[in-house]
Amino acid sequence: MRYLLQRLGFYILAFLVAVTINFFLPRMMPGDPIQSFLARLAQNGGQITPETVKALESLYGYSTSTPLWEQFFTYLQSILHGDWGMSTRFFQPVVEVLGRGMLWTLLLVGSFLLISYTLTTLGGIWVAWKRGSRFDSILTVSSVIVSSVPAVVMALMLYFVFASDLGWFPTGYAYDPALDPALTGEFIQSVLYHMALPLIAMVLLSMGNIMGMRSNMINQLGEDFIVMGWAKGITDRKVMFNYGARNAILPVITAFAMSVGGIFAGSLIIEIIFNYPGVGQVMFQGMVARDYPLIQGYLLMMTLMVLSANLIADLLLLALDPRLRTSVL
Amino acid sequence: MSTLLEVNDLCVDYITLNGRVRAVNNVSFTIAEGEILGLAGESGCGKSTIAYALMRLHRPPALISGGKILFAGRNILDFDDEALRRFRWKDTSMVFQSAMSCLNPVKTIEYQFYDIFTAHNVVANRQESIERAKELLRIVDIPEGRLFDYPHQFSGGMRQRVVIAMALALKPRLLIMDEPTTALDVVIQREILQKVYELKQQFNFSVLFITHDLSLMVEFCDRIGIMYSGQLVEVSDSKAILQQPLHPYTFGLGNAFPTLTGELKVMVGIPGTPLDLSNVPPGCRFAGRCFKASAQCHRVEPALIPQAGRGQVACHQPLPLPTLPETLVKRCSQL
Amino acid sequence: MNTVLTTSWFRLKEFFLNNPKAAIGIVLVLGVCILCFFAPLFTDYLPNARIARPHEAPSAEHILGTTRMGRDVWSQVIYGGRISILVGLVAGIFVMFMAMVVGISAGYFGGIVDNILSFLTNVVMVIPSLPLMLVLASYLDQVSPLVIAIIIGATSWPFGARVIRAQTLSIRNRDFIHAAEVMGESKKRMVFFEVMPNMLAILGSSFISTVIYAIMTEATLEFIGLGDPLSVTWGVMLYNAQQTSAIRIGAWWEILAPSMALASLAIGLALINFSIDEISNPKLRAQKIMAKFRREQAKENKRHKAQAEGKTGSEMVGGAV
Repeated sequence: MRYLLQRLGFYILAFLVAVTINFFLPRMMPGDPIQSFLARLAQNGGQITPETVKALESLYGYSTSTPLWEQFFTYLQSILHGDWGMSTRFFQPVVEVLGRGMLWTLLLVGSFLLISYTLTTLGGIWVAWKRGSRFDSILTVSSVIVSSVPAVVMALMLYFVFASDLGWFPTGYAYDPALDPALTGEFIQSVLYHMALPLIAMVLLSMGNIMGMRSNMINQLGEDFIVMGWAKGITDRKVMFNYGARNAILPVITAFAMSVGGIFAGSLIIEIIFNYPGVGQVMFQGMVARDYPLIQGYLLMMTLMVLSANLIADLLLLALDPRLRTSVL
Repeated sequence: MSTLLEVNDLCVDYITLNGRVRAVNNVSFTIAEGEILGLAGESGCGKSTIAYALMRLHRPPALISGGKILFAGRNILDFDDEALRRFRWKDTSMVFQSAMSCLNPVKTIEYQFYDIFTAHNVVANRQESIERAKELLRIVDIPEGRLFDYPHQFSGGMRQRVVIAMALALKPRLLIMDEPTTALDVVIQREILQKVYELKQQFNFSVLFITHDLSLMVEFCDRIGIMYSGQLVEVSDSKAILQQPLHPYTFGLGNAFPTLTGELKVMVGIPGTPLDLSNVPPGCRFAGRCFKASAQCHRVEPALIPQAGRGQVACHQPLPLPTLPETLVKRCSQL
Repeated sequence: MNTVLTTSWFRLKEFFLNNPKAAIGIVLVLGVCILCFFAPLFTDYLPNARIARPHEAPSAEHILGTTRMGRDVWSQVIYGGRISILVGLVAGIFVMFMAMVVGISAGYFGGIVDNILSFLTNVVMVIPSLPLMLVLASYLDQVSPLVIAIIIGATSWPFGARVIRAQTLSIRNRDFIHAAEVMGESKKRMVFFEVMPNMLAILGSSFISTVIYAIMTEATLEFIGLGDPLSVTWGVMLYNAQQTSAIRIGAWWEILAPSMALASLAIGLALINFSIDEISNPKLRAQKIMAKFRREQAKENKRHKAQAEGKTGSEMVGGAV
């Protein structure tokens, strides 16, 4: 419990750091931050209305009369109340814009996590079992190679070959625009069809994790309690799973927590290339238009994602590793 | 007492990139029912390798390359996988060196008893398994309530007792103990060995006790086998082995232990270093460090032969019964 | 004299035969580097020169075709490679420097230094790098490759720092360090001459991972449009290709060329990294021994089967797996 509280405290602190970065960056630019925002906006073809200026000012709490720390608190309050400003590119609250995108991104990332972790965990267990066989060598080398191809390249190749050239997969959108969103079989099928190629790309890129699980398993299999498991007359399969994998999965959970940032980064690229309307696509357009509130909102949202993933991982570890519970009442 | 275990010419090799290294070379011994046999020797002499061989627990790259292991008449090297699985823990079980590392850290003790029982189909349901596990814990003086704890929640001595309880779960006929007390302090060592002795008297199982602590073995075991560089060089009665050693190595071992009582004396060790098993010279393996080595010792390998009324020894010039040197007798009796 | 050369050549050959992965990796990396840094030897055209018709397919004159602006793709790839590789190296060195300073100090000095540095590391680590880079890059007007390198460096050092700290801690608690301390060796000397030499494998591995990451991230950022569109790097080539709808027109060479370059470099470095891991961690190296073991075990099994037809007392196999 105490452990959990400590972690929670840390996460809150980290979020505050992200908020602080967002707060200070505009102020580190020379001159009046609001004006330079507007200047860039204009430069990139954005619209400036009195509402825009008003919104920016109230968001950042910028004014010449109040002290800095008061401005910071105003900003913090807005953030905590869900007011992340107005997107200058989409003319809607940042939270709404990001929220729409996150829906599709979470669908993609969620499915990816499910498929990828199932495949890599089982794959890693199997490969560790078949240690030293030819199959082992082939799989390890190929997974290293496939996963070191950069996301950009992999996505481009897949898109080019399968979507553009062969036309086996759609070239954009989350679902067929002719359909209305509804929980019908047709709609769901369309969604899956459009999600397929981006999903495949992401899963291929993550195949390197097989290696991670494999070396976890190999390390575990060197332990004495595995030998004791065999000595007790327990079947190989049970030893593999209940003794080996059950222990090997703990570092996987930790690794997952650390890789969430990278997973979202990868999904950004994938979405851009496959024209998938997730939060990455939204950001792409926002970047081009220098939509600062949106860009900063993205930072906050991604930070929240990473922190939540870390929290989930902490809870999972607490549940799965009894050694962490010793300080629990 | 009939013979429970008979090992004949056992050989175990390790496969390396440079060829095979023979870690255990033509080792033969027997264990009678209800007997406690000790196996002593330096680190790396092959004692643990033999222990693992008795249950065929070797991990690659170890390979049993010769000999027979007859358990109650059946050669366990002939067992197929299923027969081996049923044999393990039921007929022979093992207490490993480090109790902490041999228990699965993420499962409760109760679960680890349960999977023993289910693997051998001796219980009808979980409840029955819990009852039997509690009974076993009672035998080793551990409170029943600890059954649902995790390994890391026990102290070192208690953990070792849990492991012993687990080893006895199926009432095996042979209990192998591989350096079970090395990591524990002297007081707990004694308690544990005492408990095992009581249990042995009660259930009449045999024990193969492996350690490098010779003085511990003299008290606990009936007979003691001394190993050097992968070979058995002497097997004698435990009460006699230190006072009347047959093999020069045993003599050296006895000398190497300081006494608690008596006058201070200079420590005597055994000169030289252990053999490199990938490069074994001809003749007796101990010849390079032996104070009695002759030309024959360097040429011909001695076999393990019984000496009338004393025990077995693999030496061309076994030590005679000590007659007069009172210092020798006094010293040994103080051990 | 002759024998020295022949023995070292022989040893080199042996190394490559024993470590095919390392060999392939080194060949790939060296190949790309040589092509890029000796570019004038391999092409006559300058990367920015408009010398042909736009969007020409590969031909004898332009082996990789031309871009929308009529520039030779092959030249762009190999000249552009210089910057991409250099960015990777600069970022890599920056990250390694930060990671080493933070990691070794935290691991070595322990106590409050460790607490502060670890806290710092954890905070920077938890804040996702890509969004942070996007935020930073969007505030800067012209983002040259060098700036990108610095931004990458500033946001990705925590991972290396963590690994290095863990390694330092484990070395620090080894006896030979205590011995050196007792002997009165100065702290500075200890760090450089006792601790670091033991960490070479991990430092090397971290460095290579960082370089891979930096080169790929740089390409990615440029692809999104954050780079300097006037420079010639692999990422910008991809950006231009995307902007000029190369895919739709079917100008596959514009995309394939920088992609292959990136992929080759990435795979080569990854293979080298993998080999370093294998060489320094004997447990992972067991592949060959396991293969040999299986062969020996099969031999023993056959012998046993053959003799079991006859009498007992045969050679047998052990093994639990």
